Parts: sequence; structure tokens; C-alpha cells
Amino acid sequence: MTTTTTSDLRSATSGTAAALRANRRRRAGRSILVTCALTVAVAALFVFTMMVGSFRIGAGEVIASVLHLSDNPSVDFVVRGLRLPTAAAALTVGLALGASGTIFQQVLRNPLASPDFVGITSGAGLAAAAGIVLLQAGGLVVSGLALGGAILAALAMYLLAWRDGVTGYRFILIGIGVAAFFEGLIGYVLSRAQLFEARQAMHWLIGSVGQASTTELLLLTGALVVLLPVAVLLQRPLGALDLGDDTARTLGARAELSRAGLLGTAVVLVALAVSVAGPIAFVALVAGPIANRLLGPAARGVLPAALVGAGLLLTADLVAVHLLPTPLPTGVVTGAVGAPYLLWLLATTNRQGAGG
Amino acid sequence: MSATSQIGTRTSTGGVRRASALGPGLAVLFVALALVGFLSVTLGSRAIGVSEVLHALVNFDSDGPISSTVTLEMRVPRTLLGILVGAALGVAGAILQGVTRNPLADAGILGINSGAAAFVVFAITVLGVRGIGVYVWFAFAGAIAALALVYAVASLGREGATPVKLALAGAAVTAGLVSVTSGIVMTNVDALNELRFWQVGSLAGRYTPILTGVAPFLLLGLAASLGFGRAINGLALGEDVARGLGQNVVRTRAAAFAVVAVLAGAATAACGPIVFVGLVVPHLARFICGPDYRWILPYSMLLAPIVLLLADVLGRVVAAPDELQVGVVLGLMGAPAFIAIVRYGRLSEV
Amino acid sequence: MQKWRPVLAVAALSVALGTLTACGNDTGTGDTAAAAASGPWSFTDGSGQVVKADKKPTRIIAHAGEAAALLSFGIKPVGVYADEPVKTDPNLKNLDLAGIEILGEEWGKIDVEKAAALRPDLIVGDWWPAEKAHSGMEEGVDEKSKKLADLAPVVGVAQGKSIVALAEGYEDLAESLGADVNSPQIAANKKRFEQAVETFKAATASKPGLTVAAMSPSTEKVYVANPEYAPELLDLQTWGLKVINPASPDPAFPYWENLSWENADTYQPDLILFDGRSFTPTANAEWGTKQPTWFKIKAAKAGAAVSWPAFWLHTYADFATELDKLTQAVKAADPNVGN
Repeated sequence: MTTTTTSDLRSATSGTAAALRANRRRRAGRSILVTCALTVAVAALFVFTMMVGSFRIGAGEVIASVLHLSDNPSVDFVVRGLRLPTAAAALTVGLALGASGTIFQQVLRNPLASPDFVGITSGAGLAAAAGIVLLQAGGLVVSGLALGGAILAALAMYLLAWRDGVTGYRFILIGIGVAAFFEGLIGYVLSRAQLFEARQAMHWLIGSVGQASTTELLLLTGALVVLLPVAVLLQRPLGALDLGDDTARTLGARAELSRAGLLGTAVVLVALAVSVAGPIAFVALVAGPIANRLLGPAARGVLPAALVGAGLLLTADLVAVHLLPTPLPTGVVTGAVGAPYLLWLLATTNRQGAGG
Repeated sequence: MSATSQIGTRTSTGGVRRASALGPGLAVLFVALALVGFLSVTLGSRAIGVSEVLHALVNFDSDGPISSTVTLEMRVPRTLLGILVGAALGVAGAILQGVTRNPLADAGILGINSGAAAFVVFAITVLGVRGIGVYVWFAFAGAIAALALVYAVASLGREGATPVKLALAGAAVTAGLVSVTSGIVMTNVDALNELRFWQVGSLAGRYTPILTGVAPFLLLGLAASLGFGRAINGLALGEDVARGLGQNVVRTRAAAFAVVAVLAGAATAACGPIVFVGLVVPHLARFICGPDYRWILPYSMLLAPIVLLLADVLGRVVAAPDELQVGVVLGLMGAPAFIAIVRYGRLSEV
Repeated sequence: MQKWRPVLAVAALSVALGTLTACGNDTGTGDTAAAAASGPWSFTDGSGQVVKADKKPTRIIAHAGEAAALLSFGIKPVGVYADEPVKTDPNLKNLDLAGIEILGEEWGKIDVEKAAALRPDLIVGDWWPAEKAHSGMEEGVDEKSKKLADLAPVVGVAQGKSIVALAEGYEDLAESLGADVNSPQIAANKKRFEQAVETFKAATASKPGLTVAAMSPSTEKVYVANPEYAPELLDLQTWGLKVINPASPDPAFPYWENLSWENADTYQPDLILFDGRSFTPTANAEWGTKQPTWFKIKAAKAGAAVSWPAFWLHTYADFATELDKLTQAVKAADPNVGN
């Protein structure tokens, strides 16, 4: 991390303007190519998840049914009634998680600073579980509570960790502490529940794209339509942020404001995603790094990361529902795959001596 | 260099001024602990007069009236377990916060609770084990396995197990184990029921067999921990400083983790995850005795059981004839304490 | 591709039918003209709504215990969904489910696609008045599971104050679905049950001083069931068994009173009805060794404990079997053990 930023700095200061321009054009080309390829892949996965199930339905029929081009009530019931909500939830939640994860990682300049690690999703989880168990809440109320919990947790983190900017590992250490604290409280809440509510709360806490209801889904879709472009616009001029806090500070308060705006956008996105599907682990964490690897060195993009997130979640749901002997919540799959991946990542970066 | 000497002088002058007060302070705490222990034997969800309690303690006849049974077979082992587990959690938290230089370090952050829970669920679902008396050993094994995994992953690489890598590895292991555990529990109602009660730390329902089972581990760990004060003082100043002082950082850290694994593992196995004691008490101790771990460790060892037992007695008295688990009481008390630590504590210095 | 198409077409037909009947319900029961026109089958759901169809439903999907009830009257569902694996579900574990599609073995998850392929024309699940929902479609289940209700009308008997009422409700439902409830084989179950009730009444009448408490010990507490919320215990009370009503049930969860182990001896019944979900022949003795105060309950010390079928009974046969065990225990119990 530090090595890339310093080399960036060096190349930025020493390179000529022409070289910079050519370099930028080349990167922009690759970025567009990768984004287009990702879009196609995600669209294909999106259609494919609606083709498989107890019945196999052709891609053409799925598309026709979704777009209301055909009128076949039996196909429509299965596609529009049963499969589309889940597929749409996986798509939108994945987009939101991918985008917010990469924003967190970029603004905090730390590849491990995703919202699921710094206590924001656990804040949402705690609020939702408490609502289910203590207030006997359901449906939209649970989503609202999750949203409130995520925003409160983010605010708390901001206040607790703010010291000349929210940067570095201190933020993460505090975040992990806050997350563990919330997890502890969730345990207490669960034990206060009757078995039925405990099951309901547990179900919610693992995270599954299958639990989304239409209203929550529409809310998230609306937020994505508005916030994703906002995030892309805000993020673009902030390339300078990669140069490090000192450089960024010289660029003035505007940059600071953009950072806060970006973080705010990311918090709302992740909160809505959690309210739709529960706290699904690891997608936000890995989407950004995977997108960066595809994009090549030093290129950052919110959109490609969002698309990677959507692709990951669609795949995880396919695995969870169709490939396993008993259908499991999506969160179990992302957790079971994501944790070893992260450990492996830690182990390998350690060996290179770049970790911590 | 200048920073080191500054810290050095600060500790030493503080130490000189305080040492005379800190020694007797320990004695005061010891008396306080004895008092709280006595409270814990006399107060409970069942009203038993002091004379009856004394009668039971003197005659030592547990087959007699129910007040004797409750006193001798329930409250005395419960109190002793509370003292040992509290001391273990307090010391483990203090060691972890010192070694990892993370003010919010706690055994839970390093995956101990999720490891224990995963093994408990495995024991329930695969082996059909029921009842705390049996799965206490699975919990112990799980706690140690998780901590070992976290430590192993974090210590790969040149600089060894740095605080950040430990926290991250702990978070990763926790997230993975929690996903799998909750996936299993969703399809097994029995396991869900056992787990969700185990998940809230409690001193209730654990009697002499569990006490005698974990006591050797806890006593051994507590005795070993007292020798660590000096080494942690070095580590708390930063690895470079510690190395400069001639310490073998890697070996010290590994030894400290072994002690924490035994202490927190056995405590968690016996009572389920009790998180706030290990988090809050070391800060309290630090507030009283300053940054010297030679004092922080014994103070944590005495303060933590006082806090734990008081919370337990409170939980027994307020809800009679029912009881609140000590974990719930600590959760209610711990939330404000946690905010206070983060808000007013010396977080910025760590 | 070609194979499922006709199947789905029929499934879709039943969907259309479902929405039709739903519309009929919305107009209210006062609309007698419409009601008369809507056909020969109708059933009053636990929610009070009258569900009607043009013809008698034959392809039924039922929740676990409800399926057991229908099976006991010779009505075989095409599919069942349960809250736990059918091998462990107390209602299903002893039944032959060959030829019945299993649509779910976990609370909250029903495979609605598979259900649609079965072309159901009726869904059967208990009505839970407190939650205003049928079994399997309560708050918190997968959104997809709730779509089961789109396939066909849902009916169920209300879970309430009596297992007898529940069993009778399913008898009525089965009869409306064409079961010959008076055929000797099927009626035998009911007769056996009625006999079991008579002998049970006689047993309790012969021991007027006998008191019982329904208890469930756990690691940290002893739970004493509140008959108010346990239909089978209310039934037992009407048949003369003196089931102790705990003095202060948990206000947040009034199904039980929670006693700390220090207070385990609060109630001194002559016989313990031990939670059937954790009962084994050796359970009583085991708790005696695990908890110092369990044997301070005199009945426990005397070994007077019998399995209590907690919260699952749906059929006459199951109730009869359980009742016979209880009768034995009542006969064997000593009314002077407790206070």
C-alpha cells in the first residue's frame, strides 16, 4: 500500500505532462473495456440465475418474461414471482456492497477497511435483531432499524476514531473493537428471544438475498440509481487522494468535503444493502481488490467494483441455492469462502513483508 | 530515543510516588474481593438468612435443608468459579491489550468465542453431546484452536504477529466460523437452543465438577501471568523499543499468547463468552496504577472478579425468583463503560 | 423444456383459481349470491374467512403436523413442508411419507417452485391468531416462501386453547375433503382417543388430591409451563387433572415461569410432566445428579415424572397414545408426595 502510493507520487511529480496524458488515456481505455466486460458478465449471470431451479427455463423466455414481452402465466409466476426478486436482490445488494466497500477502502486508504470489518454491518445487525426480538418487529421496520443502526454505527466510528482525519490502522482497530462489541450485544439479544424469534433473528443475521421484500428492494434500487452516479462523480477528482493525506490536504477543504460525501454515500448504500439482505460477509471486502486487479495498476473505479460485487453475490447465491445438497443462506457461502481467502491474503502479504 | 526516555521517566517518577500506595491498595482490593465473595454466598434469587448460610458453612451438611444445599453445592462453587473466571478474564484482557497495543483488545476479538461456539455446535450436532458438563471441553479445545490459528496466520512473515494482523486474522476467523456455525444452527433447532443460551456468559448451573475441571488451568495460567509484567512493559512501548531493551519480542509474544489461550479458553469454556470484563477492567486498573504492567496485572486480577461477582449478585437479586445471566448484566453495565473508555480514555496514546 | 410446460400450464391455472377465490373472500361473506355460485367446496379457516372452490381440492400441500392430521383420516397430501428435518419432526417421524414430496425441512424455507410443479389446489397450515398468519408464512420467513399462498387457497384450524378442538377441526377439514371419517379404520383412532379420555378422567377422579406441574429443566434454569398457553395442558385440566398454574410467568414470554435453580423447589407437585422434547427414561435421574436442587422437588426424588407432549399434537391417535402414558403415570403416582 505505502509502496504504491509513494511510487505514484514519484511518477506524478517526475513524469512529463505528455507521458501522463498518454498514460491516462491508456488506463481509461482499459477501464472502459473492463467495465463493459463486467457488465456483460453480470447481465449473463443475472439471466442465468433465473433460468435454473426446479424447472429449467430458456434465456429468451426469461428475458421476455422479465421485460413483459411475453404473456405466459406459468413462466411469469416462476420468473417474475419467484426468481426475479431474488436475482434482483442479489444484483442490487452486490452492486451496493461492491461500491461501498471500494469507497471505504479508497477513502481510508486501506484494503481491509470495508464496512463489514469496521462495525457498520454489525451495527445494522444489532439494531435489526433487537427490533425482531424486543419489539417483535418485522418487514420494513426491521429494514428501517438496520438502516438506522448502520448510520449510527458509522457516526459512532467517525466520532470515536476521528483524529486529524479517519485514516490508517487505528480506525480499523477501533472498528474491529466496535464490531466485536456489537456482536456481543447481539448474542445477549438472541438469548432473550423465544425460540421462534431467535430463529427469525438468526435467519436475518446470516444474510440471504432470498429474504428481500419488494418495498425494500425498490428502495435500494432507487438509491443505487441516484447514489452510484454521485459516487462515481465524487470519486473521480479524488484520484489525488491516493497521493496521501499530506498531499490531499494541500488540495484544500474541497477534497475533505468530497471524502466525507463519498463516505456518506457508501454508508447509505451499505445500510440499504444490509436492510435488504442482512449482513452478508466479505463481498464488500473483496470486490474492490478484485476489480483493481482486473483494471491494472493504480486504476480505481467505483463502477467496476460494484459490478464485481454483483457478480460475486449472484454466483454465491447460485452456489448456496443450487449446488449445495441443502439450500443455505447466501451469507453462509460468502462467509465460508471469504474467510479462508482473507486469511490467505493476510498470509501472503505477510510473506512479502507488506502487511500491517 | 527522546520519546523513550520521556516515557521512562514518567513511569519511574509515577512508580516511585505510587508504589507506596499501590501495595496497600492491593490489600484493600483483596479485602473487598473477600467481602464481595461473602455477598455472593449470602445473596441470591432464593432468600436465605445469614444465620442459615453460616450454619450451612459450619456444619457442612449439603444433604440437610435446601438452604444448606443451595449454599454449599451451588453458591460456594459458583462464587469460586466467578473469582477464578473473573481473574482469568481480567488478566487475559490486560495481557492482550499490552501485547497487542490495542486498547479494545479482548479475547473475543482474537476468535476465541467463535472457536468455542463452533466446537460446541459440532459436539451437539455431530456427536449428539448435550449438557454443559460435556461440551465444556469442546469449548476449551475450540477456543485454543481458534486462537492458535489466528496467531499462526498473523505471525507469518518477517515482523511476526503485529497488532493489526492479529486483529484482522481474528476478525477473519470469527467471520468464517460464525457463518458456518450459524448455517448449521439454522437447520438444527436443538443446537440453536443450546447455543443461544451458551452464547450469553453465565455462572449459573455450573457446579463443583466444572469448577474442579477448569480450576487447575486457571490457577496455573494466573500464576504464570504474574511474571509477565516487565516483559509487557517493554512490548507496550513498541517492538523496536522492546528489542532495544534486549527482549526477544517474538518469544515473549508467543508465551503471552499461550497464557491468554489457557486463561481465556478455560474461562470461556466454563461460562460461555463474557466479553466486557476483559475489555473494561484493564482500563480501570490502568487508571488506578498508571502504565506499569507489573501493577496492572495484579490489579486486574483482583478488580475483575469483584466486577464479575457484583454483576452476578445483581442479576440474581433483581429478577428473583428468576435470574439474569451475568453476561446480560455486564452487557447493560458494559455499554456505558465502553463508551466512557473510548471517549475519555487514553485511546489516542495507544 | 417440453416436459414441464403442460405441468406449469396447470399450475398457472391453479394460480388463477387462487386469485379468484381470494377475490371472492374480499367481497365478504355477506355476498350470498356469489358464495352460492362459487361452488360445492368450502371451509371456514381459522381466521374466520370462508374459503371456497369450484370443486373439492385433491392436491394438497400441508405443513408438518397438519399433514399428519390429514394422513390420519386417509387424506394423502402431495407435498409437506416442515420446520425441521422430517426424520426428527415429532409429527412426521413415525409416518410413511413415500410418494409425498418434501418441500422444506427448515423453518422459513419452502421450495415454492417444487410446490408449483405439484399443482396444489389447497394449502393446509395452522392459523396462528397471535401472528395472524398460517404456519410457514409467518413474519420473518423467506419472502419467496410466502408466495406459496399464491398457488392455492390456504386453510387451517386455529391454534388455540385445545388440542381436541384442533383435532376436531382437522377432522372436519378431512371430511369436507372427502375422507370417510366414519369408516371403521379411521373412526377407530377417535374411539381409542375417546376411550383414553374416559380412562384418564377416571384416573384423575380417583385421585382428587393429585397435583402436577409441567416442567422443563435446562442448564441455567427450570421452566414451569403456564397451561394458559399450552392447549394440551388446558385439555388435561378440563379432564380433571390439577395442573399447577405458575404464579408469575415471565411477562415478556408468558408461556413459562422461569425459576432459578436455587428456587427449583418452589412448586411441589405429586407428579412432574416433563417436557417431551428433552424427556428420556433416564432424564429425571440425570438432572438429579446434575443439579443439586432437582431432587429437592419431592416428586423428582420419588421418580414421579412422565413425558409431556409439549406443543405439537395434532391427531387423535397421537393424543390417545400420549394420554395412555399419562393415565399410567397418574395411576402410579402417590398424591401425598408433594405439598
